[in-house]
Amino acid sequence: MSDSSPLDAYRLDTEPKWHATGDEISLFSAAYAARLPVMLKGPTGCGKTRFVEHMAWHLQRPLVTVSCHEDMTASDLVGRYLLGPEGTHWQDGPLTLAVRHGAICYLDEIVEARQDTTVIIHALTDDRRILPLEKKGELVRAHPDFQLVISYNPGYQSVLKDLKESTKQRFCALDFDYPAAQFEAQIVASEAAIPQTGAETLVRIAHKSRNLRGQGLTEGASTRMLIHAGRLMAGGLSVTEACKLAMITPMTDDPEIRAALSAAVDACV
Amino acid sequence: MILKSARPCQRLSMPVSETRTRPALGAGPDDPPQARIAAAHARLAGAGYGVSVPRAFRQVAPKIAAQLGQEAALALADAASRIAIRTRPRIAAQFLDLSVPMARRLGAPEPFRRWIALLQGLLKPAPDAIEPLLERMETLHQRLGLAPLEAWVQTGLRLAGTDLALRRAYFTLELPEAVRLLERHAGEDTFHSLEGELRATHRALWGQSPPIREALPQAKGRAALRASFGAGVIQLPASYSGYRGRERLIYKAALAHIGAHMAHGGARFQVGQLKPLQIAVVSLIEDARVETLALRQMPGLARLWLPFHDVAPEGMATTPSLFGRLARALIDPDFPIRHGWVRKGVEMFRAGDGQIGNPALSRHIGNILGNDLGQTRVQFNARDYVVQPVYRDDNLGLWDLPPDPHEAQQHHHIDIETHDLRRSEETDSPQDRKTERADQSTDLPPEKIVAAPAASGVGRIVGHLPEYDHLAGIERADWVTVKEYDPAPGDPLFWRKLEDRHGPLLARIRSLVRAAAMGRQKRLKRQAEGERLDLDAAIEAAIDLRARRTPDHRVYEGVSTPDRSIAVHLLIDTSHSTGDPVSPTGPSIIVLLREATGVLAHAMTQLGDPLAITAFASDGRDDLRLVRVKRFSDDLGPLTGMALSGLRPGYSTRIGAAIRDAGATLAPVPAHRRLVLILTDGEPSDIDIRDPDYLVADARRAVQGLNSAGIDVFCIALGQGAGQRHAEIFSKRGFVQIDRLEALPEKLPALYLRMTR
Ligand SMILES: Nc1ncnc2c1ncn2[C@@H]1O[C@H](COP(=O)(O)OP(=O)(O)OP(=O)(O)O)[C@@H](O)[C@H]1O
Ligand SMILES: [Mg+2]
Repeated sequence: MSDSSPLDAYRLDTEPKWHATGDEISLFSAAYAARLPVMLKGPTGCGKTRFVEHMAWHLQRPLVTVSCHEDMTASDLVGRYLLGPEGTHWQDGPLTLAVRHGAICYLDEIVEARQDTTVIIHALTDDRRILPLEKKGELVRAHPDFQLVISYNPGYQSVLKDLKESTKQRFCALDFDYPAAQFEAQIVASEAAIPQTGAETLVRIAHKSRNLRGQGLTEGASTRMLIHAGRLMAGGLSVTEACKLAMITPMTDDPEIRAALSAAVDACV
Repeated sequence: MILKSARPCQRLSMPVSETRTRPALGAGPDDPPQARIAAAHARLAGAGYGVSVPRAFRQVAPKIAAQLGQEAALALADAASRIAIRTRPRIAAQFLDLSVPMARRLGAPEPFRRWIALLQGLLKPAPDAIEPLLERMETLHQRLGLAPLEAWVQTGLRLAGTDLALRRAYFTLELPEAVRLLERHAGEDTFHSLEGELRATHRALWGQSPPIREALPQAKGRAALRASFGAGVIQLPASYSGYRGRERLIYKAALAHIGAHMAHGGARFQVGQLKPLQIAVVSLIEDARVETLALRQMPGLARLWLPFHDVAPEGMATTPSLFGRLARALIDPDFPIRHGWVRKGVEMFRAGDGQIGNPALSRHIGNILGNDLGQTRVQFNARDYVVQPVYRDDNLGLWDLPPDPHEAQQHHHIDIETHDLRRSEETDSPQDRKTERADQSTDLPPEKIVAAPAASGVGRIVGHLPEYDHLAGIERADWVTVKEYDPAPGDPLFWRKLEDRHGPLLARIRSLVRAAAMGRQKRLKRQAEGERLDLDAAIEAAIDLRARRTPDHRVYEGVSTPDRSIAVHLLIDTSHSTGDPVSPTGPSIIVLLREATGVLAHAMTQLGDPLAITAFASDGRDDLRLVRVKRFSDDLGPLTGMALSGLRPGYSTRIGAAIRDAGATLAPVPAHRRLVLILTDGEPSDIDIRDPDYLVADARRAVQGLNSAGIDVFCIALGQGAGQRHAEIFSKRGFVQIDRLEALPEKLPALYLRMTR
């Protein structure tokens, strides 16, 4: 069927660039072919969002992205009645929109949402593939093209923020991490438009910072940070200045850890 | 550690202000200056101190008066008199003589007055300290300046307590600790001031966290001059004195150099037939080899290392000079080579580039070069040889040396042994190793930590627990006997004292807790009253109205009180090793554990999280020793405080059993989340277990068991090197390591808040 207008805004018309670092594209495609929900696991800024965008473009599906947060309620996902001039009318939430019209729905950082919010995806992610709209008294059957993707950062050291076992077990999962050094350097070089050698230095520095994961830093420098630093370098800053501005200062306030990170930068340039 | 530095001695300045206000005998403030000084002189002369005191006064008083004014000169007379009475006239004369150069140094009346007050303040508590102090006064002041000098003196008084011999050793600078503190008070960067940064830097650069220690003084109390490593432990000198202003760079360079050894070195070299000269040269080449490899990945390290290579390309061809030149030429491509031996070394090194990854290259080149040098008449004195430049290590870690009862080897050995005791399952039964250590932190009340005596009460058998045998693959039922012991009577004023010591911290935590609670507030829908309209409810009400149904009047949105629902059982490891001090002058681990637990318990009560606290140790499988500091049903009151402050170190660490017990007590507590939080300084061990994997596997099994029952287990590993096997037991996400234990009382609550937010 020719997709109706509601999802047109969610189509990607230019390719979000993705440097494959393994067989993630074929694996994801396989999961999509079987219409299985997928969970992308990995630390912040390692490319999960970009990957989903790329896959949506690749599979020629519209992509509905929802960033989850603590105050998010089920209505925020599913939809609600609104008061209009002719009385009340129902407005589909982003999830319902995707389910009805066959988009890929990406729930970013699902653990941030309240537990009662996460259970509404249960019926969607087993073989029923349905979304009950309680308020409206409607049972929406998922469009054949619909797929649910969630992201999940296992690095949080919070015992309270974890997915329920029953939620976890409904998903296929792809592990994401910062790409291997040479890939990451290519990514940084092309995203920030800087020479390969500069990108390699940044990646080396990032690796040093990732050594401090869990030992003073919650996370090391992400690919995203490296791209930021790279852009600053493209704009004329030195590696040291760029790293300070885009990595060290944002990452920590602890003077000892800052000193260690500066030493790592110094050692690498 | 933490001997507070700036603690100016207001109390001690009293005597001087008294002298200022009291009219001098026979001469009032209105009399001409000469007359008042003469009167003071007369008083000294008539007091029966002999001739030396008044004579010295007559000589110095005019000079002091001229330079700093009459009052300063008069204060001198009064102080000299007191010193003469409390100590000896000779010392008073010495003081007077010293006052002239000191007046020049101090330069103004007020510092001079404080200097006199500093000495007068010692008269009562430590008259014996005055003489050694006077003897070194100029040097000390030169190094420290006045305020740090005052602090250093105060620190000495505290550190020595009533121990006269110790005090003497301190003020004569014979005590290495006195020298170390001197360096610290002098504001020079020392190992202690840089420790945290160095550790983090090493981890960042090399991805590893080997224990990094301050090198103990060598035999005869000589401070270690060079870094050292071996058996996975890094030792850095307490200070690099004589390099003022560059200490931080030396530490960084030294640690990076050792990092290069550890990353690129091989097995220890066999000494075989090598002569000391050859050993030195092989080490030198090996230094260059590992640095070259490190520089390929981290070119920036050259900026750290090269500045210390300051040897000139030519000059007398002595061993130190040739060594220095070769060392420099090997890593500094711009260094001109003017000596045949250096050239040969560099050429061989370059020719061997294909082999650079192999330590045998160093041995090969060093052998030949050492031999060449041995053939010449150049002197090499192995005894006095100190590796250059200063950032390089002493090479001991490179060689498989025969045990040498002398010198650095010895302390090296001892140090490693104390480190390993905890992990070794073959330690003698813990209660034999009695430790008594004075706790010398100024932040904590002095307290002797004594290992729990073997018969500290009788335990009541309260149950039995299973244990998992990983070799047999079976869980043995009722294998471990659980005994509860009554808490040893501790300090009934524990809480009040905690508030005294940690007032600001507790206040900060209270506001953190408030913030944490705020952050967790939730929107409440369909409230009868509230600040905002609940849109969904309002719309439904509107629909109902139009459909002529009775609308629900609850159309507001409210904000909930935080609905935390987490119950915690805190397990405190009180095994023998927790009696160890965290640093040579620091409090012991258990003291910090008690404090930190106190602070955490305080925070949790604020949060309203149900909490139980149990201290555990073990003495074989028949005696899992539990002290119930606080049960879920107990209030956090004086009794809890007493129990907590009464905890004593002793026995071993059977973690798995303790976890099972804590899990069992948590199971019936109604809470969304249930958490066993373990504070431990080491790995599981017990006297009846020799297989190091056995208790690890059992503990892992216990953790898994609790997890499947919906109880989380989280471990806080105390001290560097403590977390060796914790990832296996608790999973990578299931533990954190806290290196700097002094910060524990502060870190623990913060960690908890973060973990449960
Ligand atoms: N393989 C890759 N190909 C192309 N770009 C990549 C790749 N990996 C990472 N990136 C880049 O890294 C940056 C961060 O990626 P992204 O925003 O997708 O991270 P994320 O994992 O979604 O982070 P968060 O969890 O914080 O949302 C993007 O600029 C993206 O271009
Ligand atoms: Mg060396």
